Amino acid sequence: MDPLVASMKVAASGLEAQSTRIRIVSENLANARSTGDTPGADPFRRKTVTFAAELDRATGASLVEVQRLGFDEGEFTTEYDPGNPAADTNGVVKMPNVNMLVEMADMREANRSYEANLQSIKQSRDLISATIDLLRASQ
Amino acid sequence: MQPIQLFELASKQAEWLSVRQGVVAGNIANANTPGFRAKDVTPFQAVLETTGMRMAATQPGHFTETEMASRVVETKPTEEIGVQESGNTVGLAEELMKQGQVKRDFDMNAGLVKAFHRMMLMTVRR
Repeated sequence: MDPLVASMKVAASGLEAQSTRIRIVSENLANARSTGDTPGADPFRRKTVTFAAELDRATGASLVEVQRLGFDEGEFTTEYDPGNPAADTNGVVKMPNVNMLVEMADMREANRSYEANLQSIKQSRDLISATIDLLRASQ
Repeated sequence: MQPIQLFELASKQAEWLSVRQGVVAGNIANANTPGFRAKDVTPFQAVLETTGMRMAATQPGHFTETEMASRVVETKPTEEIGVQESGNTVGLAEELMKQGQVKRDFDMNAGLVKAFHRMMLMTVRR
């Protein structure tokens, strides 16, 4: 396969991986206050995403793929809120282990990587059209 | 004949540049992959000077790997990025800079080929 087409394929795999990451970040943010619904139940657990390089056999290029969606095993925070359905006998509710600041930083980084991949697709396209222009110009 | 040699050289460089573009795209895609080491192609000068061994294709169905694809090597971690906590050595800024280089060289290459092509056509037409 043409290396330029292969590079577009690689960058596209990067776009997909980063968008999965952004999806996970939004899930975490959306569920930042999701508690359980029975007394003492565990709340939402923060999700994590891991990438791995994958060799594409057809082109020999290293694509990226989502290796695993895992869970953050960190401690839950607790809050005193006796009116909550998830409150235990002491009125303490377990809250998700989502840290807004970490999620925002993660989102920014995913955003930057997404833009970089987009840039490489654009560039590969420019290079291909520069080659095609060789045929077009000299009339 | 001189110009013909130039066309061969130009197409070789174009191939090298497109392989490099592919490698850089791979680095960018794997910028957040734990344990991934940044790669690059050996400089064009070095590729020109050495001729690698290649498998012969004796039938049209045989696959041959392009010569440049075997020139991809791991790069040393740079000063400012180094090896990150995750074992990754890709620096996005550096990769984007490499891409700019590839683009400039490719444009120059295409421009040169175009110019020489025009010159040859001029001699044929009149």
